[in-house]
Amino acid sequence: MIILVLDNLGGSLKKSIRNIVGKGRISEKDVKELNKEIQRALLKSDVDVRMVKALTDRIKKRALDEKPPKGASAREHIINIVYDELVNIVGKGTEIPVEEQDIMLVGLQGSGKTTTAAKLAYYFKNKGLKTGVICADTHRPGAYSQLKKLCGEVNCLFYGEQESEDAVSVVKNGLKELNKTEVRIVDTAGRHSLESDLITEMEEIEETVGADRTYLVIDASIGKGVKKQANAFNDAIGIDGVIITKLDGTAKGGGALTAVSETDTKIAFIGSGEKYEEFEEFDPDSFISRLLGM
Amino acid sequence: ILDEKDIEDAISDFKFDLIENDVAFDVAEKIGEDVKEDLVGREIKWREDVGEIVNESLRNSILSIFESPFQFKTYIEEKEKPIVIIFVGTNGVGKTTTIAKMAKWLRDTDYKTVLANGDTFRAGAMEQITKHGEKLNLKVIKHQEGSDPAAVIYDAVEFAKANEYDIVLGDTAGRMHTDVNLMDQIKKIKRVVDPDLVLFVDEAVAGSDAVERSREFNEAIDIDASILTKIDADVSGGAAISVSYATNNPIIFVGTGQNYDDLKKFDPEWFVDEIVG
Ligand SMILES: Nc1nc2c(ncn2[C@@H]2O[C@H](COP(=O)(O)OP(=O)(O)OP(=O)(O)O)[C@@H](O)[C@H]2O)c(=O)[nH]1
Ligand SMILES: Nc1nc2c(ncn2[C@@H]2O[C@H](COP(=O)(O)OP(=O)(O)OP(=O)(O)O)[C@@H](O)[C@H]2O)c(=O)[nH]1
Ligand SMILES: [K+]
Ligand SMILES: [Mg+2]
Ligand SMILES: [Mg+2]
Repeated sequence: MIILVLDNLGGSLKKSIRNIVGKGRISEKDVKELNKEIQRALLKSDVDVRMVKALTDRIKKRALDEKPPKGASAREHIINIVYDELVNIVGKGTEIPVEEQDIMLVGLQGSGKTTTAAKLAYYFKNKGLKTGVICADTHRPGAYSQLKKLCGEVNCLFYGEQESEDAVSVVKNGLKELNKTEVRIVDTAGRHSLESDLITEMEEIEETVGADRTYLVIDASIGKGVKKQANAFNDAIGIDGVIITKLDGTAKGGGALTAVSETDTKIAFIGSGEKYEEFEEFDPDSFISRLLGM
Repeated sequence: ILDEKDIEDAISDFKFDLIENDVAFDVAEKIGEDVKEDLVGREIKWREDVGEIVNESLRNSILSIFESPFQFKTYIEEKEKPIVIIFVGTNGVGKTTTIAKMAKWLRDTDYKTVLANGDTFRAGAMEQITKHGEKLNLKVIKHQEGSDPAAVIYDAVEFAKANEYDIVLGDTAGRMHTDVNLMDQIKKIKRVVDPDLVLFVDEAVAGSDAVERSREFNEAIDIDASILTKIDADVSGGAAISVSYATNNPIIFVGTGQNYDDLKKFDPEWFVDEIVG
């Protein structure tokens, strides 16, 4: 598995791994060379600069301190270390409980919450749970129609109030309406840390829902601003996990790692297309390959 | 005389700063090269501060990326009517909202403006632009969901010609530059509609990918200028540099919020001050 991820690498990173030969310890020069390539790759993937620095420092320390296990070549040894440390920051996949739950989706404008609400509904419906979605976006023109239509495609329950301007009351009514539903997913309007009215609204929605899981939905292309955003959402309502969207483009999703580290959570799902099937549980190996520029 | 050694540290410092501010890695490298080329071998007067010289060169390098003779307002004033503008970009960056904002401004400036719903694909896209049309009291040309987007915008152009409208704003569905079919579709839209302007919309919250996607869109359909949305979202907005660099085109507007009046002219000087300080 490990070799699979790192051995398929292209370009200069691969070359710097190939350069590492022999049985004994790894030379400082080789580690430096390799670290430089890892840094390049991760910075291009929007991984936080400090995170990258800390990662390569640990790789260097371990590569120079630890003796390769018996029988392992220097190259295998360093590949193990690199992979190990990457998994450390990327995180393993999370168990997604198949049980009754209330889920709330939050995030920046246009990050993919509404699409993800339908994807999640499809996911849980397929697991045999009775699933419904509530539209708590009373701001964006057409938000109601968008979600209603998507729920129609997925064939799950839907609750919304087209003309309402009071998201909290819509949620209250929706929870009542869907009280026989096993999984309830609340889609909220897009917002950012500086929109204090909307942050307050989100807090009120969260209080009403008392969500079992609150997912922060993050666009794979997000840049350094993710740090402030993740903290603002986490401080306001507490984030339980991250969902990365739009991984079907060229964006690598490195910003999600910042969100995960700031909120001390894990990546739960990834979205890779506009259709409701284009959605998977998070898999660290393929994500790591991508981050490193495969 | 400055040699490479004198400025190496300063360059490496600002490259780091640019990356921290969401300028794509390769673009930051390129700016570093430009500054080096500009400065190495330059004679400096004694007591001149190297840091300041580097900063000045960096400012100029960035400003030259944004430099362009294109003036949107003048263009709109002078160009033969109707002027057809289409908006393109990846998913969810703010195309439709930007169209609504621009439509309001055009309407308030007494240009007869019609909207065309070239997003016949995404759920709720029709309702979204229809609602904007209602709120702004503007006509929206639309066909059925799933129909040919090129035909919708084409119809809007015919409508504008027949009814002496000044401006057609054509929306398109968000698409990934990696999606061959959808990129073929946008090429077809451009071919059929023959727009006067193709505006690329991207968001200021984006990181390195901005350079990738703007380059791909430009290669596919040759964009004329870009708009950067969501600069109100507590961002440093280095994506502006990436996009302008990759497309060799100016940024003409920025989106500063979700309301109709939240569209502002992009001011390179102000922006460079924000980034370089
Ligand atoms: N290519 C691609 N597009 C996606 C993905 N997820 C969502 N989208 C698209 O991204 C755009 C925005 O998605 P929405 O679900 O409306 O985003 P949102 O977060 O609900 O937006 P707001 O409610 O305005 O904040 C739409 O065009 C979606 O079809 C994905 O994984 N891949
Ligand atoms: N804060 C902020 N939000 C914005 C801005 N521009 C657009 N938005 C929001 O971003 C979200 C997506 O905007 P849309 O206009 O639907 O984006 P789009 O590019 O048309 O999306 P698709 O058609 O799905 O690809 C909406 O919630 C908008 O209100 C802006 O300048 N600032
Ligand atoms: K061009
Ligand atoms: Mg939404
Ligand atoms: Mg749109």
